[in-house]
Amino acid sequence: MDNQDKVQKFDVMVIGGGIAGEEAALNLAKMGFKIILVEKDYSIGGKMVHLSKVFPTLDCSACITTPKMSETTREPNITIKTYSEIKEIEKSGNHFIGKIIKKPRFVDEDTCTGCQLCEDVCPVSVDDQYQYDLVGRKAIYIPFAIALPKVAAIDLDNCILCGACEKVCPANSIDFTEKPEEILFEVTSVLIATGFNLFDAGKKVEYGYGRYKNVIHAMQMERQLVPTRPFNTVLRPKDGKSPDNIAYVLCTGSRDKSVGNPICSQICCMYSIKQAQLLMGALPMADVTIYYIDIRAYGKGFQEFYQQTKDMDVEFVKGKIAKIEEKEDGNLELFYEDIENGGKVKTAEHDMVVLAVGLLPNNEIASVFKDEELELDPFNYIKQKDKLINPALTSIDGVFVAGTAASPMDIPDTILSAGAASAEVAGYIRSLK
Amino acid sequence: MENKKQKTVDILKETRKASENGKIRVKEFMGIKKKIKASLKLESKTIPQIIDETKLDASFVTYSLMTMMKYGDVQVDKIDDDDEYYFYKLKEVK
Ligand SMILES: Cc1cc2nc3c(=O)[nH]c(=O)nc-3n(C[C@H](O)[C@H](O)[C@H](O)COP(=O)(O)OP(=O)(O)OC[C@H]3O[C@@H](n4cnc5c(N)ncnc54)[C@H](O)[C@@H]3O)c2cc1C
Repeated sequence: MDNQDKVQKFDVMVIGGGIAGEEAALNLAKMGFKIILVEKDYSIGGKMVHLSKVFPTLDCSACITTPKMSETTREPNITIKTYSEIKEIEKSGNHFIGKIIKKPRFVDEDTCTGCQLCEDVCPVSVDDQYQYDLVGRKAIYIPFAIALPKVAAIDLDNCILCGACEKVCPANSIDFTEKPEEILFEVTSVLIATGFNLFDAGKKVEYGYGRYKNVIHAMQMERQLVPTRPFNTVLRPKDGKSPDNIAYVLCTGSRDKSVGNPICSQICCMYSIKQAQLLMGALPMADVTIYYIDIRAYGKGFQEFYQQTKDMDVEFVKGKIAKIEEKEDGNLELFYEDIENGGKVKTAEHDMVVLAVGLLPNNEIASVFKDEELELDPFNYIKQKDKLINPALTSIDGVFVAGTAASPMDIPDTILSAGAASAEVAGYIRSLK
Repeated sequence: MENKKQKTVDILKETRKASENGKIRVKEFMGIKKKIKASLKLESKTIPQIIDETKLDASFVTYSLMTMMKYGDVQVDKIDDDDEYYFYKLKEVK
């Protein structure tokens, strides 16, 4: 390679800084391997950092995941590249070589103190993607309260170039001239931990998401239930009313051939049950009804958690929702097949609806492998070549997979999967020596 | 010092225009912020009361009021007698 002196060398490249990527990177770093962790977002943490509490223990999600995030950033054997994109990966003998583009955030990562004075003076307000569009954010912003690194970034697509942030920054960290940085790398092994995509609730047109503001999706409810919530408490987005009769629609975008996702997302029953319990705490007078096809409470302590939720008077109705209509006062009328009572179509009125959206595969990364094909399974997740014996193996020798990049799973299974993947990666590297 | 601070945005301006969407959103947000502030000037109000008074789109008022709360312009006062709607007031500037 011409740029040999510029090539950064590591033992393992971990792609994705969610809980799977962090766990695997930490395991491998503690075994003495040098890791480069590439994250496409501004912060590591993945989806877990945005969750309220976790089923079935109701432990605070951020309290579990932030120490792991900070351990990852402080670990000397891990080099983190956030807001970075892998352009290509190629096999070269026993190694992989390739290119990463670190995109400019227009704020110096080393000097920004995260003081947010820039946010105060920025006049632009656009949808805050980290609050799932329930409130606005500025064009310069710290992504979210517990982001790591806690460094501001400028969204140039919405910036009016007024320069107010640059004037006010006490650390002189704003740099509108920052350019993308090209990083060449050589690694022995690659671990894919790119996670999942959330089903786009708008695709179930009959449920009215987007049209009816009091129909929200489960990640929006997660945000409403955390201390760093978008509103002062759980409220209807349409008119700020405190809801008192909330419905959950399970299997929104899962087990549904009509939207191209025939499989079960594995976690939606349990996260809906969890949210129902949390809502009973946040809104003690509220009624919560869960419309389901089957309840899949398959893990340790899950069935007991489900039973406990029933005992708290959360109503479970076995019924498939056909459509939702909005009434003048913002309430919602649900038309459903009452499966346990002869399958008749019934209607029920609620003042807020939560769509329990499913998981979709995130397989974009397959396209960066230039000379060998990273195969996908029939449901478009990264194919596990030997699911029973070596679950982290992929179709490319030396490339491994962990967490929800391989299939839908909850956090405990993701952590187990990351543990298994780190052991397989370590075994692979040692076998080459 | 002031000149140096201005520099990088000015350099970018030579090759890039300000975002059109950004400009629209500034205008929109400034407009609604002004109306909400005017509505809350004398007393705290619920979101439906603000909507009634300003005749603005309901969900846009909720979104904007919550954004104003995030940036410290507005705070919660109390909840109404039916425990349905919160009253919001302007944050006192000390
Ligand atoms: C509404 C909801 C509630 C949930 N509640 C619970 C719960 O209570 N308990 C529980 O156990 N589980 C819960 N889960 C599931 C949990 O979120 C997942 O199990 C967990 O996030 C999976 O972690 P991951 O690291 O595999 O993926 P992710 O969290 O998706 O992380 C993947 C990371 O990879 C990055 N990435 C993606 N593509 C690239 C790329 N090309 N290059 C670089 N980086 C990339 C992403 O930005 C992200 O940071 C819930 C899920 C949802 C949707």
